[in-house]
Amino acid sequence: MSQWLAHVIERAAAVDDWLSPVRAEALAKLKEQSWPGRRTEAWRYTSLHAVENLSLPTESNAQAEAPAIKGLDAIDLVFVDGRLTSDLAALNLPEGLTIRSLTDKSDIAEQVFTQVKPSHHLFGLVNDVLATQGIVIEVAANATIERPIRVVNFATDNVESHTRVLVSLGDNAKATVIEHGSGTGHSLNTAFAEYDIADNARLEHYRFALHQGEAIHVGGSHFKLANKSRLNSTLIGYGSQLTRLDVDIIHAGEHAHAKFNNAYLLAPKEHFDLHSTIEHAMPNGTTEENARGIIGDKAKAVFNGRIHIHRDAQKTLAELNNRNLLLSRGAQINTKPELEIYADDVQCAHGATVAEIDEEALYYLLTRGIDKQKALVMLNFGFVQEMVFDMPNEALAEWLQPILKQRFEDMMERS
Amino acid sequence: MLTIKDLHARVEEKTIIKGLNLEIKPGEVHAIMGPNGAGKSTLGYVLSGRDGYEVEQGEVNFNGANLLDMEVEERAQAGLFLAFQYPVEIPGVSNMEFMKESVNAMRKARGEDELSSAEFLKMAKEACKQVNLPLDFLKRGVNEGFSGGEKKRNEIMQLIMLKPKLAILDESDSGLDVDALQVVANGVNSQRDGERSFIVVTHYQRLLDFIEPDYVHILAQGKIVKSGGPELAKEVEASGYAWLGQADEGEKA
Ligand SMILES: Nc1ncnc2c1ncn2[C@@H]1O[C@H](COP(=O)(O)OP(=O)(O)OP(=O)(O)O)[C@@H](O)[C@H]1O
Ligand SMILES: [Mg+2]
Repeated sequence: MSQWLAHVIERAAAVDDWLSPVRAEALAKLKEQSWPGRRTEAWRYTSLHAVENLSLPTESNAQAEAPAIKGLDAIDLVFVDGRLTSDLAALNLPEGLTIRSLTDKSDIAEQVFTQVKPSHHLFGLVNDVLATQGIVIEVAANATIERPIRVVNFATDNVESHTRVLVSLGDNAKATVIEHGSGTGHSLNTAFAEYDIADNARLEHYRFALHQGEAIHVGGSHFKLANKSRLNSTLIGYGSQLTRLDVDIIHAGEHAHAKFNNAYLLAPKEHFDLHSTIEHAMPNGTTEENARGIIGDKAKAVFNGRIHIHRDAQKTLAELNNRNLLLSRGAQINTKPELEIYADDVQCAHGATVAEIDEEALYYLLTRGIDKQKALVMLNFGFVQEMVFDMPNEALAEWLQPILKQRFEDMMERS
Repeated sequence: MLTIKDLHARVEEKTIIKGLNLEIKPGEVHAIMGPNGAGKSTLGYVLSGRDGYEVEQGEVNFNGANLLDMEVEERAQAGLFLAFQYPVEIPGVSNMEFMKESVNAMRKARGEDELSSAEFLKMAKEACKQVNLPLDFLKRGVNEGFSGGEKKRNEIMQLIMLKPKLAILDESDSGLDVDALQVVANGVNSQRDGERSFIVVTHYQRLLDFIEPDYVHILAQGKIVKSGGPELAKEVEASGYAWLGQADEGEKA
């Protein structure tokens, strides 16, 4: 038995808030879980050794400000080490947008908390029982919220924290939500977010998991799509000591469309694990996922891309491609497609490749006098940068591009 | 500037250039015309040093150096520029970073200081204006989603910024509307200074109304079969290449 898990269960028993009945169910499930090892499918290539007997304080007094992004006028909500530090009452919100703390009882919170099910592995359950701090975002039917809503989640040093974000978009609603996480110290942070997207609603979503160094970050973003809704999501991840993310996209209605781009850039020795699950439960849905990785020396990436097309999900179109670039012989990628298709009239493509240089593009750069070494660097970084250029929010793209480029150049130097 | 002597070159297993001779002096503009598949684009690729284009025989001298001995980027740094018939799209590399890298590589090769970001931006903005491309093109991926005409204008913008000694323009006029044709022609003419030379590959007289050539050559079946002054282009426009077929049969007989 993991000492850390035993301690979690002990702490969970002491949590008492309006969600307690829901938490109790999760706690019961958690108690049945054994500690994941190599033979646990979801954790096959990711060791939890660093968490097993971890013992960190569960509170801090740290303060932090949301980092400003030029050109981004966002509604900022800030967690520091699991504490919601923003004064929600002081927010000046546009009509149609309600933001509550998870500590306040609301039907919406209960509905999203219980009905958009994450891929419930151990940490999802841990978050269910311990995340007392959270944000509930509700966008009313027919409302278009122009200002992006940004949830900043800092993990400082020597602290364990658990946070939750619950989002509900009513019929025809439109909004942009950014989950912006970071941390460099020795910390454990679990951060899960659930999105309930109603008929015809549109969500533009970003998750930046920019944890580095000794940080341990486990989280997920889960989307439930109703009829004719649309999701455009971009995830950018670093590795840190251990970063594990689960993204579930569930087509619960017909004619929904999801686009999910993700890119991970792993500095030497980092570990990054992304499990992506695309569930088509209903007909006529489309999903396009592009996953791109650049992996530095002695770093390890795990990409598990599951597409599950249920029997009734006829006329589904699902495409997933994963391309990885290993910067040295010591870099590692475990990429695994998982296709389960039970409908017969579907189009489904799943490809995983090691990135290859486009010879024609290389020639073009050379004819412009750029040396081969530099041209290769540009093209290699280009295939991740493509995901940045594809982000609909230009201010975010312009902020992120130089940060990732710098990280890439440092990785090249150290590989 | 450029001397090509008895050039033979092949792509994969097929010999395309078969005994081509051409002499270009500083400041001259040479137009090359010829039927589809004659080898015009191939000549550009061979001169630029593209992989897979193998020289079987002949010599090419570029400003005193053996061009065929040089790597692709060295040829470019020595002042050779090729404006592509079909420019490639590179989605993950922005025009801005690409052009900055390129301009600075050329400057370095010429022994000049690299441009600062601000200096580069100023130059890029001016060039954008000159070819009538909106500024946000600089932020987009290289040629990504550009229309055919925009790609051609982007090639001319690069020509303006890189200031090569010899520019080969491979059908820079095809697919252009009348205004864009004028933009491209003006862009090229702005670079004519009596020193720089140009090879203009085209199918149409209308471009040559704007960029007046000193010589016109007809390239067919891998070599130059006829050379003349601007009037030769007008002949082609009027009567096409039917006469080539006859000449060819005569050769075989
Ligand atoms: N990779 C290749 N393998 C085999 N043949 C090739 C290859 N590339 C080009 N060719 C052939 O070489 C010949 C010359 O092609 P090229 O593109 O140089 O013609 P062109 O004169 O530029 O024609 P156009 O006016 O249509 O642009 C053509 O017959 C073409 O099919
Ligand atoms: Mg051609």
